Amino acid sequence: MTLSTINITDRDHQIAKLSAIAVALSLVEFFFPSPIPGVKPGIANIIILYTVFKFDLRMGIWVSLIRVFVTSILLGSFLSPTFFLSLSGALFSLLSLIIFRNLNPKYFSLISLSLITSLAHIAGQFIIVRLWIIPHNGIFYLLPIFIVSAFIFGLVNALVTSKLLKLNSKK
Amino acid sequence: MILIKKILKFSKSIKFGDWFIIFLFCALIVISTKLLWSLPQGEYLEIYENNKILATYSLNQEITKEINGAKGKTKIIINNGKVRFSSSPCPKKYCIHQGWINKANQTIVCIPNKISISIVGAKRKYDAINY
Repeated sequence: MTLSTINITDRDHQIAKLSAIAVALSLVEFFFPSPIPGVKPGIANIIILYTVFKFDLRMGIWVSLIRVFVTSILLGSFLSPTFFLSLSGALFSLLSLIIFRNLNPKYFSLISLSLITSLAHIAGQFIIVRLWIIPHNGIFYLLPIFIVSAFIFGLVNALVTSKLLKLNSKK
Repeated sequence: MILIKKILKFSKSIKFGDWFIIFLFCALIVISTKLLWSLPQGEYLEIYENNKILATYSLNQEITKEINGAKGKTKIIINNGKVRFSSSPCPKKYCIHQGWINKANQTIVCIPNKISISIVGAKRKYDAINY
């Protein structure tokens, strides 16, 4: 009989810690009332942006997907429409990260990346809503509101992330 | 004040490409708002009683119309491009609380009195097509 062992590396610990913070942030966000239904600041994405910039993309993907699954299990919405909405949003923003992360850092900073990913997040959710949840063209009427909120919260998240990165690089 | 200073400091760290992305984003906001939030202005008003078309009026006038419905008289005011119910015998007055409408394809329905009005644009839009 062979003894199977799991080697837990420092990297795994790091992923676990970061995803724990991300899950906590999305729980906080869930319990906060939102002035416009459906518009959320997406503060958990701060952690994912931070992970991508501080460590690497693979780790960002891990943290993002763990956050989606664990949050849905904690809130009891696993495999419900809400879960698929957040999953498709996360997948789309990760895809946009993979495509756009090689932008020249001389001209583009994390502000661009944050804006692009927040837009991709909205796009992913909107595609699922249009195809599956509300298959009606009337919801396009709401799109400008979502784009404006993506713009505002993308900027705010970029601000917070750059502050976090600065604070941690001083140590 | 501290917040403004911090925002100013932050805006210095925005690079050329970021401004480009921000500009694109703003353009997207403007374009999507224009495309998705511009309903065509209405041209004509159609009044239905019991789902049958009763009359069509031009919106470019100032008149008050009285229609006999199932319960009593309903007053409809047309005022240079916009329309509203001004009095109705129905109990809850939802039709009156809808207020003015002026865009094509907007409707107000009064179910107790069986009267509904809807605005039609210059080009008719179809709500269903059958082959």
